[in-house]
Amino acid sequence: MTGRMGFLVRTFTLSIVLLVGCSNGDAAKTASTDTGKEIVYATSKDINDMNPHFYSGSMPAQGLVYESLVENTEDGIKPLLAESWEVSDDGKVYKFHLRKNVTFHDGERFNAEAVKKNIEAVQSNASKHSWIKLSTKIVDCNVLDEYTVELVLSEPYYPTLVELSMTRPYVFISPKNFVNGGTKDGVSGFNGTGPYKLTEHKVDQYAVMEANEKYWGGVPKVKKITAKVLPAGETTFLALQKGEVNFVFTDDRGANSLDVEAMNQLVESGEYQIIRSQPMNTGIIVANSSKTESPVHETAVREAFWHSIDRETISKQIFEGTEQPAYTLFSSNVNYANVEVEKRGYDLEKAKKLLEEAGWGIGNAGEIRTKNGKPLAMKLYYDVNSSTQKTQAEFIQNTGKRIGIHLEIVGEESSSIANRRSTGDYDLLFNQTWGLAYDPQSTIAAFTSKSSYYHTTRGIAQADELYKKIEEVMVTTDEEHRKSLYTDILIIVHKEAVFIPITNGRVSILAPKNLQGISFKQTQFKLPFERMYFE
Amino acid sequence: MGSYILKRLLLSIPLVLIISFVTFAFIHLSPLDPAEVVLHSQGIPKITDELLAQTRTKLGMDQPFLTRYLNWVVSCLQLDFGDSYITGKPVWSMLGPALLHTGKLTLFSTFAIVVLSIVFGVVCALKAGKWVDKLVRGVSFFLTSMPSYWLAALLIWYFSVKLDLLPTSGMESFKSYILPVAVITISYAGIYFRIIRTSMLSNMNEDYVLYARACGLPEKKITMHILRNSLQVSISVLCMAIPIILGSTVVVENIFAWPGLGTLSVKSILSRDFPIIQAYVLVLAVAFILFNIVSDIINVALNPKLRDGL
Repeated sequence: MTGRMGFLVRTFTLSIVLLVGCSNGDAAKTASTDTGKEIVYATSKDINDMNPHFYSGSMPAQGLVYESLVENTEDGIKPLLAESWEVSDDGKVYKFHLRKNVTFHDGERFNAEAVKKNIEAVQSNASKHSWIKLSTKIVDCNVLDEYTVELVLSEPYYPTLVELSMTRPYVFISPKNFVNGGTKDGVSGFNGTGPYKLTEHKVDQYAVMEANEKYWGGVPKVKKITAKVLPAGETTFLALQKGEVNFVFTDDRGANSLDVEAMNQLVESGEYQIIRSQPMNTGIIVANSSKTESPVHETAVREAFWHSIDRETISKQIFEGTEQPAYTLFSSNVNYANVEVEKRGYDLEKAKKLLEEAGWGIGNAGEIRTKNGKPLAMKLYYDVNSSTQKTQAEFIQNTGKRIGIHLEIVGEESSSIANRRSTGDYDLLFNQTWGLAYDPQSTIAAFTSKSSYYHTTRGIAQADELYKKIEEVMVTTDEEHRKSLYTDILIIVHKEAVFIPITNGRVSILAPKNLQGISFKQTQFKLPFERMYFE
Repeated sequence: MGSYILKRLLLSIPLVLIISFVTFAFIHLSPLDPAEVVLHSQGIPKITDELLAQTRTKLGMDQPFLTRYLNWVVSCLQLDFGDSYITGKPVWSMLGPALLHTGKLTLFSTFAIVVLSIVFGVVCALKAGKWVDKLVRGVSFFLTSMPSYWLAALLIWYFSVKLDLLPTSGMESFKSYILPVAVITISYAGIYFRIIRTSMLSNMNEDYVLYARACGLPEKKITMHILRNSLQVSISVLCMAIPIILGSTVVVENIFAWPGLGTLSVKSILSRDFPIIQAYVLVLAVAFILFNIVSDIINVALNPKLRDGL
């Protein structure tokens, strides 16, 4: 920088220094975080309404403040607020023995009465919770004594404990925070039983959660967690460099606020580490089998399309190895999903052969295939806010072109894509499975739901058989039978190629190098901050 | 003067009504069902027909279009813009703080723009064609043509990360204002100082300047006359700078994580939070109309001949 330009920069710097000098106070707030005690994580969205019985709040934040009766772990269901439980022989009554030394953040005692009030608060807003099948099965919640509570179902439902372990809605808030005797009209405070208390919230700026000094599971070592709203990736990167934030993780839509390259750069600086979870979900392309006027209706077309996707390159080039190629709807670490099916990989020759056998002919190379004068053209919808989906769509469009498949790619808002999925107005669209704790039961239950994958599955030859098996798998109490039903279900949808897997998504964490105890839960929606500590 | 102001205000009413109707109609032309948008944005994982019908009734979607529009206008007049689809909170409780935060940013930026524009405008006009004029115009051209997100990233890197003087983002203290205000000022001052410079130069060639010089008035006094006359022309342009900045802080707010109107509008547009989008458009339209009236009033006050035009 020479001469006048240098002079200008120096003048500008000097004026900023003078301005800074004139402003007094607040130095502590703008200084870098004390990485010895505090985690400040960047989030693209505000924590929103923390009512645990609603769905607009941030799940990682709700997971710190509220707890469920049981916890879903790698080794199965484990106690949390319930120390133990018994299930009746007919599978309809669940008796829970509650932990005795638990209080809500406002000092209220956690007991059977609080459980009953919370369960009833959830059930009184049933229409909002119908996605969670358990809400349609609970008929009663009885207090047996101060620390024993009984849940009565209308019929046996095997995922009961799994669904009770979810981040919402079956978690507990102090009944003192109820409004009009429940939570559906809102709550007056956010007092849970969790390891952290919400102590400050400035909408669209930050939320502070402080360690619950009376936590039944032992006081967390990290005393303060701040969720800082930082919508732009560049700012997050600079804030990480400066130390204003020191923790970043994949959000519940599988998006990172930092790209892989920026994360690697921070790791190379020696101050940060990246930790990735096991596969948590599968990124898929959903094919609308019930759209009879579209080529996607044909199994051979769907199968050929499956073969036209080069997952290895997508994994390496687009995800830089952070996501692994997926060949089945669920990864093998998902319960009941370790099923033997034919592996369909990237094979353009096989795809061509399948199309030719199905009557999709081609004139000259590079042309679109046709059948009875109809072109092999389909529309693939992607989320316009996801940079990786757009790149994947363009890449898939390009390989499809090489075998005579014409893909028109359309970017839309996520709500519009959800709308297409429920109305059936699509050929192909990007989606993802519900994730570890919810899979396979929630994703599979959605196969029959009109607002989810009904149009995806309705057009296949064995649709009725599939729906019958899904209905059966949710109520059977026989473990072996359940296994065989899941196997059948997964084989049917694999054979019909209606859910086309791309890659397995993982949760990535970028954290200070001296932060230890970083682990994951059986869900991408929350992180066990209470187990972390600085060394 | 009073009747002029009253006339201008009355004439703006039909304009506001037209804008409100167009906003309302455009948003309702969207192919998406608002009830479905509400349920999706609330994160409800499964939407049943019963829930849809319930939500439609709650939103008043079962009523005819014109009834809905009239209800909306009437409640807007009472500053009730409805409830946000996403948070369920009254729109005003979300728009109000955002407007205040952006308002503060706009106020400081406008002040800085006015001061810098006048200083550089006058200096450049007085030194027209000299190196100072060329340098200031060159640098301002360079800075104005820089995308504001790039400029913002550079400033954050230099002042926050490298020199550790300022916070990278957020709205915590006075220090938080410095960089966003600097970015807005740099982006606009370069435009406005040219207007003052041009206006000064054209005034310098007026007969009254020649006459003043002939009468032997000191140069300083002449410059003050020129400046006063030049500013008259620039006032309306500078007045309009306020609503323009108010409505164009999206990039700056996004980069600096500033919880203002820009951030709120983008968030609402992406999540199809129609009540907030409607209120945002209406508030901005009213701001444009009001500042237009203010600039006209100032001009009329300075030049009473203009009153006859209405």
